[in-house]
Amino acid sequence: MTRPARPLAVFAALVAAVAVALAPEALGPFHIRVLQFFFFSAALATAWNLLGGYAGYWSFGHMAFIGIGAFAAAHYAMAFGGGGAGPASMIAPVAVGALSAGGVALVIAYPLLRLRGIYFAIAMLGVSQIAAELTNNVGVLKGGIGVFLPSPTPAGMPPERFFYYLFAVLLGLCLLIAWAIRRTRFGYALLAIREDEDTAMMLGVATERWKIAAFVLSATLTGTAGAIYGYSLGYFTTYSVFRLDFSLNMIVFCLIGGIGTLWGPTIGAALLLFLTQVLLSRFLDVHLMITGALVVATVLLMPGGILRAVGELPRLRPKREGGT
Amino acid sequence: MDLFLQTALNGLVLGGIFSLAAVGFSLIFGVIGIVNLTHGVFVVAGAYLALVLHDSFGIDPLIGVLPIGAVLFAVGYAYQRTIIHWAVSRASVEASLVVTFGMAMVFRNLLQLWFGPDVQAITPSYGFQSVAIGEIRIDVVRLAALGASMVILLALALMLARTHFGRAMRAVAQQPLAASLCGLDVRRIFGLTFGMSAALAGASGAIIGIVQPFSAATEVAWTLNAFVVVVLGGIGSPAGALIGGLLLGLINAFTAQYVGPALTQAMMFLVLVGMLLLRPQGILGAAYGETR
Repeated sequence: MTRPARPLAVFAALVAAVAVALAPEALGPFHIRVLQFFFFSAALATAWNLLGGYAGYWSFGHMAFIGIGAFAAAHYAMAFGGGGAGPASMIAPVAVGALSAGGVALVIAYPLLRLRGIYFAIAMLGVSQIAAELTNNVGVLKGGIGVFLPSPTPAGMPPERFFYYLFAVLLGLCLLIAWAIRRTRFGYALLAIREDEDTAMMLGVATERWKIAAFVLSATLTGTAGAIYGYSLGYFTTYSVFRLDFSLNMIVFCLIGGIGTLWGPTIGAALLLFLTQVLLSRFLDVHLMITGALVVATVLLMPGGILRAVGELPRLRPKREGGT
Repeated sequence: MDLFLQTALNGLVLGGIFSLAAVGFSLIFGVIGIVNLTHGVFVVAGAYLALVLHDSFGIDPLIGVLPIGAVLFAVGYAYQRTIIHWAVSRASVEASLVVTFGMAMVFRNLLQLWFGPDVQAITPSYGFQSVAIGEIRIDVVRLAALGASMVILLALALMLARTHFGRAMRAVAQQPLAASLCGLDVRRIFGLTFGMSAALAGASGAIIGIVQPFSAATEVAWTLNAFVVVVLGGIGSPAGALIGGLLLGLINAFTAQYVGPALTQAMMFLVLVGMLLLRPQGILGAAYGETR
């Protein structure tokens, strides 16, 4: 699947970057916010995809890392201050948030990754529930009363535009990492784990180490997104960052776009968010039904997601179907 | 001491209801190998049907269990023969996880549109009576709910052990191919298993309705509870569901009493994760051997 980077691809990426940079000039605050949320969701889905798509370990509890990232950042900022003003004040707290999420992942990785399939998925769900309830009920963590993060927006810039750029950069970073991984030994090891973990282990792939690496990397990126999301909220309590629908959306976006592909999560997020936030923004009552029906239809009609369905049309039928 | 006994009793009563709510999930997991994330919706649908029967026709939920079970049996059978079957045959058994998840969202939304998002409760005439044994008190509703759960679980266990259909179901669970070579219609048995599971879920929902408040959004909790019960007790058998359910009920009651009512979920999942790591097959193990 991997191809050498072509000048055309580099050119397309540059065009996309320029379009993203200039878009806010032409759009109103509402649409900037929708795009901002799209970048955030796509970045999360891409991070989830590193573990869920490449390695085939579906986590149903990635919201834990969003929450841990956001709360760690807030507690660091409240205790030590950001250092500097404006955007620079974000750097240390966001780094702390990201490292905390990655650190927690590192601690739970070894026991949890011994579980497979649905058991891993549900165990992760359990971990996220435990993290949320502890944050909410342990007094020091202040999840119940909420925490504050100072606004990092530079003077004279609307906050939605600032976070729009921030999340766009984050999505770019996630995509770059996902693209790079696919081209290295790391990526091949993860795909081998997804296809047949026991055989991979037998053939000398250090499955344990690669799985843990993918898990920690995925958690760190999710934690980064969570910390920045915390900044965009300014004030938040447990359940504004530990949201079950975040966990689920990451999976749904990947699934609809094409799980385990580079662009699948982004395409899935774009499609579903456009549908629910823009086209059907007046029909809040039926969002859940539409999302559910889309998921079912995607699995029944194109089990590999949109990208694979489109990619496979001209070719012969592949030997294997979709991911795990 | 009385507090301890009272807590234990509350936990066991709650656990009996958890067992019934989980046994259908366990059956599908054991026999067909599918994790049915629509399970909680069937439970809540049963509760809503009981509410309608009680408020509009004055039928007691414990009697309503029968018609509700019949309706949900038909729904479950049709559901397996169409969507679940398509998902398994076109994609994979894993894909069915996602499909049932999507269908749960659709069904939950439908329930919300029909009945509204408010929390509902059924209050039968005997709703506020209780019996006392020494210092320990128990509500009549909870006692009735527990009794009904035990009767249904026992009936299911007898059916699995003694009837032809029960044997056929266990045969299909162990070796679908061999079972079909012996002349069993595997697809029909899958459908009937799903129907039965939905009927059991609906019956448990009717019973839950008189004990606890419910809304469409609580379906997630019932699906998760079912999963935890199955992991604790063991897959596929009524006995496993009973043990897992009682254990979960005790964990809930004791955590709420001695640790803090807000931490029951955390404690439940802590035990779940610990159990998955130490004894992933559950206390009683999988009912149908190593074939799954």
